[in-house]
Amino acid sequence: MKSSVKMAKLTSLFVILLSFFCISEAVFEDQVGKFDWRQQYVGKTLFAHFESNTQSSKKMFVATDKNIFASFNSRTGDLLWRHVDKTGPEGTIDILLLHGQDALMVVGDGRLLRSWDTNIGGLNWEVVLDTGSFQAACFVAIQDTVKLVAVLKKAAISLHYLSNGHQKWVENLPDSDAVQYQAVYSGGEEEVYVLGVVPNSHLTIIAYSLEDGEIIKQRSVEASWLSSVESSCVVVGQGVLMCVDPATLALYTLPIQAEETPEFSQILLQSLDLEVSPGFQPVLVSSQPHPARSPLSEFFLQLGPDHHVLLQLNADGYTIAPLRDFQPAFLVSFATTGKKTVAAVMTPKNETACAINLFSVDSGRRLLDTTVLFPLEPNGGKPHMLYVHAFLKKDDSVGYRVLVQTQDHALTFIQQPGRVVWTREEALADVVTMEMVDLPLTGTQAELEGEFGKKADGLFPMVLKRLSSQVTLLQAWLAHLWKLFYEARKPRSQVKNEVTIETLSRDEFNLQKMMVMVTASGKLFGIDSKSGSILWKHYLENVQPNAAFKLIVQRTTAHFPHPPQCTLLIKDKDTGLATLHVFNPIFGRKSHIALPALPRPILQSLLLPVIDQDYAKVLLLVDDQYKVTAFPSTKNVLQQLQEMASSIFFYLIRSEHGNLSGFRLRKDLSTERIWEVVLPTEVQKIVAVKGKRPNEHVHSQGRVMGDRSVLYKYLNPNLLAVVTESTDAHPERAFVGVFLVDGVTGRIIHEAVQRKARGPVHFVHSENWVVYEYWNTKSRRNEFSVLELFEGTELYNSTVFSSLDRPHLPQVLQQTYIFPSPITTMEATLTEKGITSRHLLVGLPSGAILSLPKMFLDPRRPEVVTEHSREENLIPYAPEMPIRTEWFINYNQTVARVKGIYTAPSGLESTCLVVAYGLDIYQTRVYPSKQFDVLKDDYDYVLISSVLFALFFATMISKRLAQVKLLNRAWR
Amino acid sequence: MWLHVRLSEVCLFLQAMFILACCFSDMESGPIATSGSVQPNGDRFKIEGRAIVPGVKTQDWISSARVTVEGEEYIGFLRTDGSFVVNDVPSGSYVVEVISPGYKFEAVRVDITSKGKMRARLVNFIKTSEVIRQPYPLQLRSSGPHTYFMKRETWGWTDFLMNPMVMMMVLPLLIIVLLPKVVNTNDPEMRKEMEQSMNMLNPNPELPDVSEFMTKLFSGSKSSSSKAIGGSKCQNITCTSGLRNYCNWSCHGNYNAIFKKSFFIRLYNCFLSRVFFPLSNNPRVCTTLVLCQF
Repeated sequence: MKSSVKMAKLTSLFVILLSFFCISEAVFEDQVGKFDWRQQYVGKTLFAHFESNTQSSKKMFVATDKNIFASFNSRTGDLLWRHVDKTGPEGTIDILLLHGQDALMVVGDGRLLRSWDTNIGGLNWEVVLDTGSFQAACFVAIQDTVKLVAVLKKAAISLHYLSNGHQKWVENLPDSDAVQYQAVYSGGEEEVYVLGVVPNSHLTIIAYSLEDGEIIKQRSVEASWLSSVESSCVVVGQGVLMCVDPATLALYTLPIQAEETPEFSQILLQSLDLEVSPGFQPVLVSSQPHPARSPLSEFFLQLGPDHHVLLQLNADGYTIAPLRDFQPAFLVSFATTGKKTVAAVMTPKNETACAINLFSVDSGRRLLDTTVLFPLEPNGGKPHMLYVHAFLKKDDSVGYRVLVQTQDHALTFIQQPGRVVWTREEALADVVTMEMVDLPLTGTQAELEGEFGKKADGLFPMVLKRLSSQVTLLQAWLAHLWKLFYEARKPRSQVKNEVTIETLSRDEFNLQKMMVMVTASGKLFGIDSKSGSILWKHYLENVQPNAAFKLIVQRTTAHFPHPPQCTLLIKDKDTGLATLHVFNPIFGRKSHIALPALPRPILQSLLLPVIDQDYAKVLLLVDDQYKVTAFPSTKNVLQQLQEMASSIFFYLIRSEHGNLSGFRLRKDLSTERIWEVVLPTEVQKIVAVKGKRPNEHVHSQGRVMGDRSVLYKYLNPNLLAVVTESTDAHPERAFVGVFLVDGVTGRIIHEAVQRKARGPVHFVHSENWVVYEYWNTKSRRNEFSVLELFEGTELYNSTVFSSLDRPHLPQVLQQTYIFPSPITTMEATLTEKGITSRHLLVGLPSGAILSLPKMFLDPRRPEVVTEHSREENLIPYAPEMPIRTEWFINYNQTVARVKGIYTAPSGLESTCLVVAYGLDIYQTRVYPSKQFDVLKDDYDYVLISSVLFALFFATMISKRLAQVKLLNRAWR
Repeated sequence: MWLHVRLSEVCLFLQAMFILACCFSDMESGPIATSGSVQPNGDRFKIEGRAIVPGVKTQDWISSARVTVEGEEYIGFLRTDGSFVVNDVPSGSYVVEVISPGYKFEAVRVDITSKGKMRARLVNFIKTSEVIRQPYPLQLRSSGPHTYFMKRETWGWTDFLMNPMVMMMVLPLLIIVLLPKVVNTNDPEMRKEMEQSMNMLNPNPELPDVSEFMTKLFSGSKSSSSKAIGGSKCQNITCTSGLRNYCNWSCHGNYNAIFKKSFFIRLYNCFLSRVFFPLSNNPRVCTTLVLCQF
C-alpha cells in the first residue's frame, strides 16, 4: 500500500518533471499581441442607455440578446466591462433601467432583480423575485426622488428599494386569471397604477398606495376594440392613456387618475388628416424623461414603414394637435437633456446615406446645424433602432451623438458633424461556421508562377523571359527598399500599415489568410487573419433566423486566373429547403454563376475531389428522394461522375429514427442503399457523427516501439465516429456510446460504451484515434477517453487502403483520464504534412484555450515504467490530466463562450493557425513541436555575430603575434 | 511558568483531537446545518461566499470575474465588496469556482442536501468521497496572479562567466598570461618545469588518450612505463608522460621547496588535470588531485 502511494507520487513527480522539460509549449511575454488578436462582442442590442447627459460622459450601457450586460467607451467603442450570464431563457434580460449610477435589470423572465454599480462594473445587490412571468417594470419616485422600483408580474406586483433591493411590499393582483396585466405606470404621485386588459372586452386600472400596497382604486373601462395594452397604448401628458386602434383608425384617450368612472374618448385619424398605410399596424412612441414627473404630452404616431407624425395632446386632455409630419422618416426617437426634450428623426437622403436631424418637441421646428449623416452600406442592413445621447453645449444649445443599430446587428456611433466615431459588427458574436482561404499571389508572383507552367517556347525566349522576370523581381525589391528607407525617416505614428483588399497578397510562409466567417444573422465577413480587420462584409437579407449553414471552398486561390470560389449552403431547418450563395472569398463579391434549382429539401451535401474544367470541385446535393444534384453540372462534370459513380459513397443520418445508412451513386445520378445501421431510439439517440478532416495528412504509418518493431496505425479514411447518448437520464443507468463505423461498408469496427456517463460529449476524430469527453455521473467529474486503432505489427495492404478489402478488424486500445474542468469545445491541431506532433485545443468555460499534448492522451501510457516504454518516451499513466496555465494559448485574452475552434495548416510545417470563436474571436498561431523549421524569434543575432567577429579578430591578432614571436626567435 | 506552557500545550493537543474528531464524525454524519439559506421558492437554495485578492482593490478585478457553479450551469456575479451569492441552485454537489482572467482561485466543492444543509470541502477528483472541510460561507482567497508566460532564456555576461566550464578554461588562461610576470623564468629548474607543463598544452605525440591511460592504470602499477621513485606516497602512481609532473612533485621529497617555487604551476596543472583527466573516480588519480588541492 505504502509503496504504491510512493510509486504514484514518483510517477506524478515524473510527469510534472516531464511536462516541465519536454513539453514547454507556451507563450512568451514579449509575444503578446505579436501574431494574435482578440475581438470582443456582445450580440444584438436590446436595450441601450447613455451614462449622463453631459458632453464629457463617455460610458454607455447595453443589454443584449446573448444575455450580456456591457459597458462601452463611447469615444472608442471599446468594452469597459462585460458580464456574461447563463445562456438560454434563465439568463435573458427582460428590461434594463438606468438611474444615476445604478443599472436595474430583471433577468430570466422575472427570476432575479439585479442592481449594478455602473462605475466599477460590480453588483450592488441581487434578489430573487417570486415566481411568475415578467410583464413590466418602472422606477417609482417618492417626493421627487427615485427610491423604488416596481416590478409587475403576471399575478403580482412588488416594490423594491433601490438602495438594497429589499422588498417594500408585494401584492397579488385581483382576478389575474382573466385579466392580462401588462403595464405599470408611476408619474411621481402617491400611487402606482397597474393596467390590465381582458382582450376585446374591457380595460382594468388599479391604483396601489405606495406606502403599504393597499388598493386605492380599481376600475374597469369598456374597451371592446383593445387587445393588448403593451402594443397599442402609451401614457402621455398628465397621466392620459393614449391608445391606437388599427381597425377603426382612431386614437382613444383616457385619463388614468380620473375620479369618476370615465370612458375612452375617440378621435378619428381622419379628423387629423392622417392616413395609415394599408396593412400597417400603427405604433405610438412616447417619452417619460424623469420617473418623478409625468410623461411628455408630445408623442409620435407611426403610420407606415417610413411615415411618422409628431402629435401633441392639448391641455384639456382629449384633443390632439398635429405638430409635424415626417415623410419619409425611417426612425424617430426622443432625447432629453436638462429641461429640453428633442426628437431625432432619420430620413433617407440618397442611395448611400441617411440624414438625422433634431426637432424641437414643443413646436416641431427643426434645430439648425444638427444634421448628421449616417452612411448606408451597399451590402449592409437597413437602420433598425436609434439611440440618441443629447447634451447641453456650453452655449446652452442642444448637441447630440447618435447610436444607430442596423438590421444586421451592427452598431454605428456618429458624432456631430456627421463623423462616424466607431462601428461594431455585433453579428460576429454569433459565428456559425468559418473557413480560412489562402490569399492570392501578387501579379508579379503569379507571372513568375505562370512562367513555369507554359512550355514549348523554345530555348531563347525562355531565357529572355527568365531574365525579364528577374529584372522585375529586382525592381520590386528596390522599390521595397526605397519604401523602407522613405518610411524610416517619417515619425512612426504617420506610417500606416493598413491592410486593404487591393494590397492583400500571400506572405512567404502563407501565414496570413482570409478568414471567411458566417454568422447566424446571415451576414458574411472576410477578415484578415493577421490584423483582424474586416475587409469585406455582405449581408444576406432573407435568411431565416433558424437557418443552418455549411460553407464549402470549391476552388482555392491556386488556380490563377480563375478566381477562388466559396459556396454557402443555407438550409431552412423547418422546411429543409436550401439555397446556395456563391461568392469570391477574397473580395466577398457574389459570383454570377447559374445556380441549380433545388425544389426539394436537401439531406446531405458532399464535396467530391472531382474537378471541372474550371478547376472547381464538384458539390453533390442529395435531396429527400435520394436524387443527386451536381454543382457545377457541366457536361464534363457529368461525364466524370458517370465514370466514377461506382466509387462514390455517402451516408445519411436520421437521428430521430436512430438510423444511419450508406448509399452508393449510380451512373444515372440516382442512388442505391447499401447498408443501414439502426440504433433503437428507445434506448439511445445519435448525438453526433464525425468523419476525418479531408485536408488532414498523416506522415508516419506506424509507431516504432521500444523493441524496434513497428505498430502500424489503422488509417481508414472512411471511418465515422458515431456518438450516442442514452435516453434514460437516471445517473445509474445513463450511458454514452461510441461506435466506429466504416462509411463505405457499414461495418461496425468498434463499439465502446461508457456506463454511468452522460453528455454533452465533445469529441475529436483524427488519424487513427478518437478522443471524447463526457460527464461521469457516479464520480461527478469530467473524463477524457482515448481510442486508438492499430493494424498490428504487419500491414495488410501497404499501398492502398480499401474498405472493401480489410479482413482483419483493428486492435483497439483505450485509456481514460480525469479532466479537472468541464469543457465547451475541442479540436486538434493540423499542419501541412502531419509531421509535427498533435495537440488538442480544449476550450474551457473560463474562456481559456488549453493546448493539451496528444502525448498525454495515449492509451499506451504504461502503469509500470519499463525499459521499452522509456525508450518510446511514453509518460507513465496518471489518472488526472494536468491543466497548467502556461498551456493556455490565449493567456489572459479569454474567449467567452467558446463555441468552435478552427485550425488550419500554414505554409510552415511547425505552425498551425488557430481561430477560436464564440462570443469573442481570437486568432493565434501554435507550434506544437516548437518552431523547428524557422529561427525562433528570440534568436540572438547579436551574440552569434559578436562571437564570430571576436573569434575572427582573435585569430588575426594571435596569428600576427605568433609571427612576431617566430621572427624574434629566429633572430635570437 | 512551566505549568502554564504545559497547560497550553495540553489545550492545543485537546483542540487538535477535537478537530480530528469533528472531521471523523463529519464523514459519517454528513453536512452540518446552516440556517437561513432556504429561499422562498421551495427547493432552490443559494450558495454564498466571498472572494478576496490580497493587495488588490475589488473594483480593479471584479468587473472581469464571475462565479461559476459546475461549469456554467449556474452563474453568480461579484458584489462591489467581493462577496457573492449564486441563487436558484437545487440540492446536489457542485464545484464552485471564481473565474478571473487575472487571478487564480482554488475551486471548492459545495454539497447541498435536499433540506438545504450546506457544507464546503476541497475538490478531489480522484477520491471523490474524501471530505476536507472548508469554511462555509465560502472564503476564497486568491493565491496570486496566473502565470501564463514562460521565461525567456536570456543571455548575460555574468551567466556566461559563471559557467563552470568557462571558468575552468578562463582561469588557467589568465594564469598562463600572468605566470611569466610573477615567476622568475631565469631559474633553470623553473624553466624545466615550465617546459614540462607546456608539453601538456602542446599537442604532444607522447600524450596518451584517456582510454590508453585508463587501461594502463587498471592493468597494474608495475607496468613498464612506470617510474616509481622512492617515497611511500609515490609508489603506486603511474607516471606516463602526461602525468610525469605529478610524479615529479610528489616524489621530489622536498615538498616545501616546490610549494614555494612553483605554486602557480601547480595550480595551473591542477586545473589542467581536471580538464583533461576528469577521472576523479579513480582513487589513485584522486590522490594526485588531492595533492593539488593542498
